Amino acid sequence: MTITLYHGEPNGPSLTVLAALFEKGADASLERIDLAAGERHGAHVPHAMEVNHSIEGEGPVLVVDGIPMADSVFLACYLDDVGPGPALRPSEPYDRWRMMTWCRYIVERVAPAAAYLGVAANPPARVPQGVASVDLAERWSDDVAGKIDDARRADSRDKIVQAVERIERELSDGRDWLIDAFSIADLESYAWLAGMTELVPEAFADHPRTAAWLARVKARPAVTRALAMATSAAPERVWAPGPEINRWG
Amino acid sequence: MAETPSVTLYHWEPNANSGKPMLTLFEKGVAFDSHYLDLLNFDQHKPDYLAINPLGTIPAMTHGDLVLTESTAIMEYVDEAFPGPRLMPDSLVDAWRVRWWMKFMDQWLAPSFSMIGWSVFVGPSVRSRDPAELDAAIERIPLPERRIAWRKAISGAFSAEEMAESQRRVAVGIGLLEQALGQREWLASDSYSLADINGFNLAYALPLSQPHLSNDELTPNIMRWLRAIYARPATKSCWALGRTDMARRVTILEGEPA
Repeated sequence: MTITLYHGEPNGPSLTVLAALFEKGADASLERIDLAAGERHGAHVPHAMEVNHSIEGEGPVLVVDGIPMADSVFLACYLDDVGPGPALRPSEPYDRWRMMTWCRYIVERVAPAAAYLGVAANPPARVPQGVASVDLAERWSDDVAGKIDDARRADSRDKIVQAVERIERELSDGRDWLIDAFSIADLESYAWLAGMTELVPEAFADHPRTAAWLARVKARPAVTRALAMATSAAPERVWAPGPEINRWG
Repeated sequence: MAETPSVTLYHWEPNANSGKPMLTLFEKGVAFDSHYLDLLNFDQHKPDYLAINPLGTIPAMTHGDLVLTESTAIMEYVDEAFPGPRLMPDSLVDAWRVRWWMKFMDQWLAPSFSMIGWSVFVGPSVRSRDPAELDAAIERIPLPERRIAWRKAISGAFSAEEMAESQRRVAVGIGLLEQALGQREWLASDSYSLADINGFNLAYALPLSQPHLSNDELTPNIMRWLRAIYARPATKSCWALGRTDMARRVTILEGEPA
């Protein structure tokens, strides 16, 4: 089995998958790409329908025996199953349900908000050629043009505030991690929220359990190793168009 | 001997989000108590049900003392927690593809289907009722985004632009489904999986609702796939729980291509 991970700066979905790979000690070659420059759409990266139409937006691509795969949570599930390291998912079906519904919440509500705010603060320079998904191409154009909707920005800030409140509640019984043992839920939540401490500081103020949890995730050797791969001084400021904000509101 | 904890599913018609865990339970052969909620009568926002699922979303499932929501996550739970045929493929890449398709359908394609469905069916079905009564019913909805959706559906306030974008996505989605089903027998793998159950509940009405985009000539693989799932005994048992025309016979899926 040959695995290659094409990843961007260790932030957002690239951070989730890099850290999952290191947690699991899976054997893979790493290829750095500049997601914010749209390199995923170039000839250098293998293409597939599931990558082109991934609703995660700009994220890493895991190629397994020639098959390109996308979507950070599911890539992490895959790595959890193939890598020799400790499990990144609970073993009991109900706890697995808890983890998957938590990740769905992050992916559907928090990631679009974080990407919206992150890209607004750090807009990409130009729209890349060859973006196959029409709606992703539209997000690129809007982001490069700095077209920011005030209502969406306010709603996105609310979503970050709500996410931190939810994490604070979740950890109120003194647990270290979101779902009992450390899991993909911690990685995915951290990866989208790490850059928000600077952009939505009020969300994190007076939430000591969340602050301690962020520090715990960051201190994990796998996360430290992923963050050390950054080529910029502040990877949490590197963003590319992400998932769209839910069309139903 | 310990008593096996019982399963109750709170659901609407055997389609879309309700149909996903319903059909999964039937495919696994899990006995369950069916608790039908009439979505158009706002049963899902009444106190009895909010006591089970405070968010007021359908479906929900109880398994002994456990309460589970979110239809796709329930499907994975049912597959893992009960004996019966495995509905996730053995290949880990195929398992990834099952999850990819379920996310793509749940979060990208289904919202476009449902915008069209709500606009042509759900809105008109409830619009004729007393406005004050409707307003009170909407105020009882716990999730703000569902309140907005209901208001839009009832007032017919989806913009022409939103509807055109939904129609564009439906056309793209049909193209991608046809492409995937041209590559393998089932949507995500060579064995019947949760992705097929999810997809059937989204797409079984395609040849009726989008006949110009999905038919035996243009999308033979989608038609083959829908016919194969329609003919499964589990699908027939599942549809027997429907109470409206939504789960009436789809004659175009009975038998061979015209």
